[in-house]
Amino acid sequence: MQLSEAGESRVQGYLFVLERSLNTFLPREVVRDAVREIESHLRERVLTATASPNEREAVERILGELGPPLRVAQAYSAERTIDEAVATGRLVPIVRAVGHLASTTIVGFFAALAVLVGYLTAFAFVAIAVLKPIFPDNVGIRYAAGVPVGLGAQFPLPPGEHMGGGYAIIPFALACGLGIFIGTHRGARGFLSWWRNRRVS
Amino acid sequence: MPLEVWQEQLRRGSLDLAILLTVASGPRYGLAIIQHLETFTDLVVSEGTIYPILGRLTREGLLDAEWVEDEAPHARKYYRLTRSGAKRLAHMKAEWRAFAGKIGRLMEASERHDDAAQ
Repeated sequence: MQLSEAGESRVQGYLFVLERSLNTFLPREVVRDAVREIESHLRERVLTATASPNEREAVERILGELGPPLRVAQAYSAERTIDEAVATGRLVPIVRAVGHLASTTIVGFFAALAVLVGYLTAFAFVAIAVLKPIFPDNVGIRYAAGVPVGLGAQFPLPPGEHMGGGYAIIPFALACGLGIFIGTHRGARGFLSWWRNRRVS
Repeated sequence: MPLEVWQEQLRRGSLDLAILLTVASGPRYGLAIIQHLETFTDLVVSEGTIYPILGRLTREGLLDAEWVEDEAPHARKYYRLTRSGAKRLAHMKAEWRAFAGKIGRLMEASERHDDAAQ
């Protein structure tokens, strides 16, 4: 089948969406190679297809068998970012994989939100432990009128308030930070593993 | 676990083996691999998702990929089994046969029990 201008435009549109989706998480040269391969697949299919009942339906059938571009991109994502994250358990691949899922799926968005809150909370606890020796009077458990009202750092400290907890806050904050970090990290890896297992190849 | 999920896991678990078997007889390009799989199995649900798997198998060193420019009006990317891929395939085949044999024996035993109970 020889494609008309409209058919060619439909194929190019498909490849454009695929390329844009892949660009969000894959290196440029990998994207170029992947899109070239998918284009080769489409050209091969078009070459051997007949325009039956018409070119438009034939092209849609070919594209339908290939799968929507976002789904193809998700399959690349699953094979590259998610597999790497689950296999290595390293922070950067996990963050990258969760970030990619957040930008492509609703479940991924909420998972990424939870992971972000977890990592930020862990970071905040570690920051308390690091800042306490530097700003001993501004970091710790904040008391207002003798009642504890918060934990963290306050610059400057409002009149009538003081920081309690002493230096014992350092091991406490470190333990909390580390615990939350490990919990979040394991949770993120578990989520990605679950996602990988439920994906449709 | 719903039956569909189990079927999907089974299908996905055997897809790597099926792809390696497909290129074991000689180099094939993506669409030829898909067509071969479609001829003998129903493992391919969506054609576009086979390519990322081919990419992973290539990254793992089990397949070699090479673009051939002058064979068709468009370039084709051929995949061939590497030495490491051939070794992996031999292991996978042995594992698969052993596994299928065990499950087969288990099913026969279960069916004999059912027959005896009737």
